[in-house]
Amino acid sequence: MKRILLAEDEAVLRMLIVDTLEDEDFIVDEAADGQEALDYLKLEKYDLVILDYMMPVYTGLELIEKIKAGETLGHSKILMLSAKSQAYEQERILLAGADYFMEKPFSPLKLLEKIEEIVNEA
Amino acid sequence: MRLSNYFRNSLSRQVILLISACLIFGLFGTAILFFLQQNLNHQYIENRKVLVEKRKTINTIYDEYNAVFLDIRGYVASNNPQMMERARGKEKGIRALISVLERDSVNISEISDYREMVEFSDYYFGDVLPNIITNYENGNHTEILDLANTETTMKVERFLKDTKAKSSALDNQLAKNVVELSKNQSNLQLIFIGFIVLFLLLVQYIIRMIFRNIGKPLIDFSFAANEIAAGREAVIHVDPKRKDELGMLSVAFQKMVESIQEKEQGLVAQNEELIAQQDELHAQQHELEVTLENLRLHEQKLTRRNELIHSISNTLNKKEVLQSVVQNMCKLIGADRGIIKLVEEDAYAAFGLTQIGIDRFIRFMDIGLVQRLFETKQAFTLKREQEIEEKGYHENINYSYDLYLPVLSSSHKVEAIMVFSRYGNNFSDKDLSEYEALARQIAISLEKIKMYEATESNRNLNQDILNAVQEGIQLIDQNGKMIQVNQRLNSIFNQKQLINGLIGLSWTEWSSLMAEQIEGDTFLVNLKKAIESAVNAEEEQSFVYCKKDTKQIMKVYAKTIYHGDDSLRTILVHRDITKEYEVDQMKSEFVSTVSHELRTPLASVLGFTELLLNKKLKPERKMKYLQTIYNEANRLTLLINDFLDVQRMESGKQTYEKKYVDLYPIIETTIEHQKVNTTLHHFVFKSGVHQSIIFGDKSKLEQVFTNLLSNSIKYSPNGGNVTVRINENPESVFIEIEDEGLGIPNDAIPHLFQKFYRVDNSDHRRIGGTGLGLAIVEEIVKASGGKITVESEYGKGSVFKLEFPRVITRELTKQTEGISSDLNYNIIVIEDDLSLAELLKLELLDSGFHVSYFSSGSQALEQMKTAAPDAIVLDILLEEDEMDGWSVMKELKGNERFKHIPIFVSTALDEKEQGFSLGAQEYLVKPYQPSQLSKVIMHTLLSNGKQGQILVPE
Repeated sequence: MKRILLAEDEAVLRMLIVDTLEDEDFIVDEAADGQEALDYLKLEKYDLVILDYMMPVYTGLELIEKIKAGETLGHSKILMLSAKSQAYEQERILLAGADYFMEKPFSPLKLLEKIEEIVNEA
Repeated sequence: MRLSNYFRNSLSRQVILLISACLIFGLFGTAILFFLQQNLNHQYIENRKVLVEKRKTINTIYDEYNAVFLDIRGYVASNNPQMMERARGKEKGIRALISVLERDSVNISEISDYREMVEFSDYYFGDVLPNIITNYENGNHTEILDLANTETTMKVERFLKDTKAKSSALDNQLAKNVVELSKNQSNLQLIFIGFIVLFLLLVQYIIRMIFRNIGKPLIDFSFAANEIAAGREAVIHVDPKRKDELGMLSVAFQKMVESIQEKEQGLVAQNEELIAQQDELHAQQHELEVTLENLRLHEQKLTRRNELIHSISNTLNKKEVLQSVVQNMCKLIGADRGIIKLVEEDAYAAFGLTQIGIDRFIRFMDIGLVQRLFETKQAFTLKREQEIEEKGYHENINYSYDLYLPVLSSSHKVEAIMVFSRYGNNFSDKDLSEYEALARQIAISLEKIKMYEATESNRNLNQDILNAVQEGIQLIDQNGKMIQVNQRLNSIFNQKQLINGLIGLSWTEWSSLMAEQIEGDTFLVNLKKAIESAVNAEEEQSFVYCKKDTKQIMKVYAKTIYHGDDSLRTILVHRDITKEYEVDQMKSEFVSTVSHELRTPLASVLGFTELLLNKKLKPERKMKYLQTIYNEANRLTLLINDFLDVQRMESGKQTYEKKYVDLYPIIETTIEHQKVNTTLHHFVFKSGVHQSIIFGDKSKLEQVFTNLLSNSIKYSPNGGNVTVRINENPESVFIEIEDEGLGIPNDAIPHLFQKFYRVDNSDHRRIGGTGLGLAIVEEIVKASGGKITVESEYGKGSVFKLEFPRVITRELTKQTEGISSDLNYNIIVIEDDLSLAELLKLELLDSGFHVSYFSSGSQALEQMKTAAPDAIVLDILLEEDEMDGWSVMKELKGNERFKHIPIFVSTALDEKEQGFSLGAQEYLVKPYQPSQLSKVIMHTLLSNGKQGQILVPE
């Protein structure tokens, strides 16, 4: 069973992703803002962290910085979700250290495919 | 003979000859004496040398013999053969010495001495010595002794003695020689003295000769010259036969004396003649002085004229010019008083006049003698008796002469007039033409001033225009020097304190002054680039900079201007785009926000739809997803409506359907709607009234309260009370909406109602939104005549306070009930479109007017004859009638009884100008809001007042 952390402030989108993933036997922890996500990351080692870009307390980018700075337990793959779809924004996100990027609105089934691919790779 | 002539002809040659002879004599004498002296000395030294040499030889011979004798004796005594050999060896040396003596001998005694020595030597070395040696070797000592005791010894001794005597004789000879030398020398000195005496005598003779031949005649000449100069007779005693210069001089002198005497006589005659001429010259001089005086006067006149021209061309101040014209003209003319007055302007200058006189002159200028100047355009003079005040203490009749002089422009128009008066001296025609010439000069000067003033006012106008422009403008020449600048640019760069601001600064000065006040370091580079591209006529390159102090964002562009002389100038325009820039910033932020805000609900809608389509789901899950999709779609709709509202607000196209509305039920229902969205919040509605009627658009007002209440919920995420209060006073309705949420930081409050503004702090990040809600709220509140304020304590909650103008209930009651007779205004509607006519009629009835409706103009006019309405609503295109709206208007306005009735044109034709020119009160272009019509009619009738009030029965 693979563990996934989902940090997303929109409850509806959280529900969408969690419903999709839990049908496929992933264990998903949900965080509604940056702080919650950081708390989880300090307690648990995840196979994949899904981060929203725009989140209260810490943005997705700020969380990546903290992960890279070693404030959390071990290294996990990071997938960033963002409504900011311009090329330069994507570039910024990938440069900051995200491993994958997915644009909002996204297809939940494609997201699932991607996640399975990432997790199996690892 | 010839040679003697050569010397006789020249004094200098004679003198040179004498001196040369004297010098040659001296030199020869000295040379001979010197030679004698040298000879004497030489002889002496030669003699002495020979004698000393001889003496030395003799002494040596003596010594040698002595040595020989000693050796022989030693040989005999000690039997030393070596000694004997040595004695024999000396024979040769002695004989050589003797031969020297022989050679040097000079007299007979010396030769005999030498013979003696030779004889002795022969004797001694030939006879005695061999004898001794033979005897000694044979042992005949006695023999030797005999030999010694005999004449041999005597001979030897005598020889030695002789030799000694010869030596001393030579010494004596030497001493004798010295004495002889000194004697000779003293003789020579005597001869030298004698020679010098002889030389001096010769010199004295020569001097005497020179004095006699040259000096004396010269003295005679000088004496004679003095005598002649003094006018007396003189005789010269010089040998006339002399051929040298003095001879010639005496002949010339004699001739000169004669010629002087002749000339003197001639001079006496001439002198008399000259005295006569002098008298004549005196007369001529007098004449010249008179002419000179005339010239001086003329020059003075010219100087004054120059002064006049100089002074008037020296200044561009009109007052100064006029003053100097009148003063200089008076001086020039010799006038006692005068005035100049411009024809078209109220400018004048006077000299020697009182203010009263001046005023009177100007007042009667049009009717007096001056008028003649305008007609003839020629100067004229006037002779008149002096006024009593001009006469002073004179008793008899005196005359004054007035000069009237026009100043004609180049177009032969009278620009100014001049009048001058002088006492007792008439003006000649020549004077007049001269003065007219001066007047032309003055005219040129006045025209110059006129032109200057026109240019100056033009320049000022241009500067004013420049200064009025909101943009900072600067003009630079091809070297970058600042030529012109407007006030705005000076104030942008804080140069108000300088009189000319930035004008005149060089490129480096002004550009660095600007660069210092600008953020970043790209200004100079951009500036150069912009100017370059303007100069090369490339595509316009503008750039943007930010002021350090004010944080203004300025945009600069450059354009080149080619002046007439091809000199290149560049104009730079600095435009303040701070507002546009900020709006731009906000807009791009907004686009980013909108994109984010729209994408979130879209993601849900798309995502859940995808799940529904592709997965087998339980029915309750399907239900949940559908509900979510529905909610999110609604959210999208609301967002899009907000954006559209803002868009309309911005473009000014938002329309309001204003009616009288009761706020109470609106607020009540809004609260009910919001309750559904939250379980955390408790709503309290406190009302001091049951009805609060204002004039506004109901759906927009609902939007206001929905926005405010949903904000209250959104920004109090932890729940709490949301309290709504409604109260009113006779003028206003007050509503307060209070929450116990996050509150607003103080610095954010002033920006709260700005479009796209979002409170930026970490707490608020969780709260989504477009930054539009409050901007929309404020816009609607303002459009409804109200206002909105906010009070907040950060962390404790916020209170939004709204105030609307209250509508008096009684009025409203009647209005809503349709009882409108109280207003008692009669309105006629002329409109051929039935449905529109019905709509207008209903609207007007609603607003409380009496309404009659006609589909043609002629019908309406017919009706109006019985009862005139208070206002007419008129369509222009009336198809059912031969009369269109324009002719109805003309008819009405032409009628005394109807022309005061306001006409409200209501038409699809957009010809406002014609409508208003024919007398329309208001011109409404279809389609328009019917409420607008009743509003303008009401406004017009109420402000016209009287009629309506009189007609209102209470």
